[in-house]
Amino acid sequence: MSIVEVKNLTFSYDGTKTNIDDVSFAVEEGTYTTIVGHNGSGKSTVAKLMAGLLEKKSGSIMIDGMELNLENLSKIRNRIGIVFQNPDNQFIGSTVRDDIAFGLENHCVPQTEMDGIIEANAERVHMTKYLDHEPSRLSGGQKQRVAIAGVLAMKPKILIFDEATSMLDPSGKDEIKRVIKNIHKESSLTIISITHDIDEVADSDYVIALEKGKVAMTGTPHEVFSSVEEVRKIQLDVPFSLKLREELAKRGVHTEQHITMEGLVKELCRSRSNM
Amino acid sequence: MPISFEHVSYIYSKGTPYEYTALKDVCLDIEEGKITAIIGQTGSGKSTLVQHLNALLLPEEGTVHILDRAITASEKPKQLKSLRGDVGLVFQFPEYQLFEETVLKDVAFGPKNFGASEEEAKKRAIHALELVGLSDKYCERSPLELSGGQKRRVAIAGILAMDPKVLVLDEPTAGLDPKGTEAMMTLFHDLNRKHGKTVLIVTHDMEQVFRYCDNVVVMEDGKVRTHTNVESFFRDPAACRDMNILPPALIRMKEMLKENGFDIPEDVLSTAALADCIARQVKNHG
Amino acid sequence: MANITLGRYIPLDSPIHRMDPRAKILAMLLVLIAIFFPAGWLGYAIIFVAASAVIIIARLSFSFIWRAMKPMLFMLVFLFVINSFLLKTGDPLLTIGSFTLYSDAVFQTLYIAVRLLLMVMITTCLTATTKPLDMTLGIEDLLKPFQKIHVPAHEIAMLISIALRFIPDLIDETERIIKAQESRGVDLKEGKIMERIMAILSLIVPLFVSAFQRAEDLANAMEARGYSPGEERTRYKVLKMEGRDYVLLAGAAALLACMVWLAYFR
Repeated sequence: MSIVEVKNLTFSYDGTKTNIDDVSFAVEEGTYTTIVGHNGSGKSTVAKLMAGLLEKKSGSIMIDGMELNLENLSKIRNRIGIVFQNPDNQFIGSTVRDDIAFGLENHCVPQTEMDGIIEANAERVHMTKYLDHEPSRLSGGQKQRVAIAGVLAMKPKILIFDEATSMLDPSGKDEIKRVIKNIHKESSLTIISITHDIDEVADSDYVIALEKGKVAMTGTPHEVFSSVEEVRKIQLDVPFSLKLREELAKRGVHTEQHITMEGLVKELCRSRSNM
Repeated sequence: MPISFEHVSYIYSKGTPYEYTALKDVCLDIEEGKITAIIGQTGSGKSTLVQHLNALLLPEEGTVHILDRAITASEKPKQLKSLRGDVGLVFQFPEYQLFEETVLKDVAFGPKNFGASEEEAKKRAIHALELVGLSDKYCERSPLELSGGQKRRVAIAGILAMDPKVLVLDEPTAGLDPKGTEAMMTLFHDLNRKHGKTVLIVTHDMEQVFRYCDNVVVMEDGKVRTHTNVESFFRDPAACRDMNILPPALIRMKEMLKENGFDIPEDVLSTAALADCIARQVKNHG
Repeated sequence: MANITLGRYIPLDSPIHRMDPRAKILAMLLVLIAIFFPAGWLGYAIIFVAASAVIIIARLSFSFIWRAMKPMLFMLVFLFVINSFLLKTGDPLLTIGSFTLYSDAVFQTLYIAVRLLLMVMITTCLTATTKPLDMTLGIEDLLKPFQKIHVPAHEIAMLISIALRFIPDLIDETERIIKAQESRGVDLKEGKIMERIMAILSLIVPLFVSAFQRAEDLANAMEARGYSPGEERTRYKVLKMEGRDYVLLAGAAALLACMVWLAYFR
């Protein structure tokens, strides 16, 4: 079942230039979907439209069987959690504990239940030790983990990551990618990640590629990367295994399409011993 | 004239409970006319190190030698200004330093601060904008209405317009998409190869270090852990991992192939060369 | 920035630190009012002893209070000069040429100095022992009764706590922009008027741009997490008055009553 269905969506920031142009796609429940595209392709705008932070011009967005409109807005916000790019600008509370509590307060969760929920969700992102820390004493990766705990605490069905790792250093990036993967494995949550990270894309269930506000390609990573030229045309990075595959093909060595290096190495080993 | 650090130490908030030693007795020689990558984990002292190069920070102990000058703790602020024109420092997310009404005025701001006449500053600004790939149709636009990548180009042009001999960049590709990153790195490569500028780049991106840089300095805990050329640095992927550095994809692929019995010589350093090597071995078996 | 002591929170563990911020705010208001009654030197001595007791219980040092006072010394010297020229009552104390210093000028200045010292002591007792966030919670609760006359108590508290949350970030940001512009040859300390103006503009414009960006991000993050101003929400931190809080309030009220008695009924 599609948990998100976007149909003929258009949007404009200034009323003249069309930033999102007739975009349609669906996201299946429980999948890990990545949305890719170069800067300015409209991917973050789509995320904000899905979370109801921007108002569409035309088209429709169905979330969990409900049409996204003013009437359903607060119900839909309960189903969607979104983690943004900048770790500093989404930390609202003065300590980790207060920040996780912020969303609970908004949802009128009784005060007596809050501590239990806060601790359980801090545990899920391994931040229990830091509950009373102020944001200035946390690293970027830790702040993003708090942001994740904050949205998880509100029990959403869909988690959107809007370039949540792009401002982090390599160890912070790994940390957050691992946390997201674990959450996806443990729960039935639908994950939508807007990203430039080619490894994350290769690892996802489904890819939506945007270009100039339009959907350029969709499919599993295998399907999308089956046309390396198309992928390059929309200015996206290509996994190294596919770059090498191209070069090998030029030299008469034809291999299957592997989006991971491990896969390619395995096949090369086989063909080496077979021949 | 090489750039060198002699026993340089730096302490933040000295004499307060927040005191923090960011550089510990750093000794380092940086080759002129090359592109040097400065890498290391967050908090390892990379940014502190490069801020010594144009004397934004003065060493607590030791001396920094750069362009015939020796900078010590006792340096008078007045004499530092000319150094800042010779060593252009581009901060992380430099687009946040734009403030003028037009792109041209913003880029000309630097040269004017260093005493260039209005006309001269404009000429240099137009040249700098050309270098970063922005045509003169951008000159009269407001820098605030440009896209993120364009803003960053304008900010970098603002430093280039001062015509520095040494260009220092703190994470210049952070937040850019793959295409923007490549264009940016090509620009620095050209500035080095065609215009002879010494370039230092603080970065986390090993693919860029591998493709564009000559030398690499690894900072760890306020000290220089390793300083070598890029080729020999990536020759030992295990040592990279030991320093918490994930080697670039090509090196990882080589490593995996070797583990699986392929014979890959050390000097294979491009995708094409690797493909050649593999093709030979797969076919030779047949 | 690091050497401003007035109004700064000192993270210690003391009975005063653990008190309900509402009790502390109310007590401070009562004592501040008390200082304004002309209760004479005896009255001020009583307040001084009471405030000193609180400072000792709170484990604050008197040198901290003194540092908080320092910026006001200049003002007091200025006041003394003005007073010595204007106040010509009381006993003449000393004469230099045609200028005579009268006792009232000295007493008047001393009187104000003592009041000022007491006020700094009292406010420091509050600010140094109360976390900024607890302070906003206290203010929110105390303003609640005024919601009936449309005082947006919650919004005011939210505004203050977000401002407090972002002050360190904005200080960092300012330092970064200063360094970035210094790298472009900006000289903040010297230069002609026009250069100075440009230098300041080169800091202020980027600071505003980034503050607006921050505000937009923050608004999105708050909205996405279900915040909607004016709508009902629960509160995680609940304040509770305990025995010692009532003791503090009673003490402050007694002090006020004592001053009124000293001033008018003695």
